[in-house]
Amino acid sequence: MPTKTFPGNYKNLEYISHFIIKHAERASFSRDEVYAIQTAVDEACSNIIDHAYKGENRGKIKIQVNEISNGLKIIIQDDGEPFNPDEIPTPDITSPLEIRKERGLGMFFMRKLMDKVIFDFSQSEGNTLTLVKYKGSFS
Amino acid sequence: MEIIITKHPSFDLIKIDGRIDSYTAPEIVQSFELLIHDGRYNFIVDLENVSYISSSGMLAFVNAKKSLIQIEQGAIIFAATPHRILSGFQMAGFDQLFDFCENASSAADLF
Repeated sequence: MPTKTFPGNYKNLEYISHFIIKHAERASFSRDEVYAIQTAVDEACSNIIDHAYKGENRGKIKIQVNEISNGLKIIIQDDGEPFNPDEIPTPDITSPLEIRKERGLGMFFMRKLMDKVIFDFSQSEGNTLTLVKYKGSFS
Repeated sequence: MEIIITKHPSFDLIKIDGRIDSYTAPEIVQSFELLIHDGRYNFIVDLENVSYISSSGMLAFVNAKKSLIQIEQGAIIFAATPHRILSGFQMAGFDQLFDFCENASSAADLF
């Protein structure tokens, strides 16, 4: 199971994407699906830096990529503040720009693009986010 | 990411190459702030060579649009937008905020 650990800063988002793209392509996802997986992981890691670590270079992001039957399971772990997805509002993407609140867009993208998005927290493991994408599920 | 800004009489052409994410988006925010501060309000943003855009990247353009709405002038038109980048804007509902043209010269006709 390919696993890599990255320092939690924005500059590493590009290297995280390279790592994810390589394994998604190896798993024979379509180019649109690879882009979707890249987006979900990028948004997840940006959220970790912004909300779990509350800033850059305050902890690491560990990413494990597992090929599963007809898909890919990606497990992302951090040691930041416990993350409660229920506290993140769903953005109203139809409200007028002047009053529109943009928080929650990253989470919204993750849920739209992946087949499973599961958050978990434990004292020993910290935050664990599991993302699953199946081939042929992209609409 | 690389940003090249070319000034024209009625608009500025902003050509962006590479990834637009949380690391690079602040550069776009800063570019718009400087241009708007200089009294430049009409923009064509050429996205042909953009390989990826995150939500924070999209918000860089949305916030520039908000600044233009506040001063009640100007426009941002995207040109040569790759289909995966356009899909991201559509998913976020941001495609309703901007005009999208096939290329920079057809966008220039709108100014």
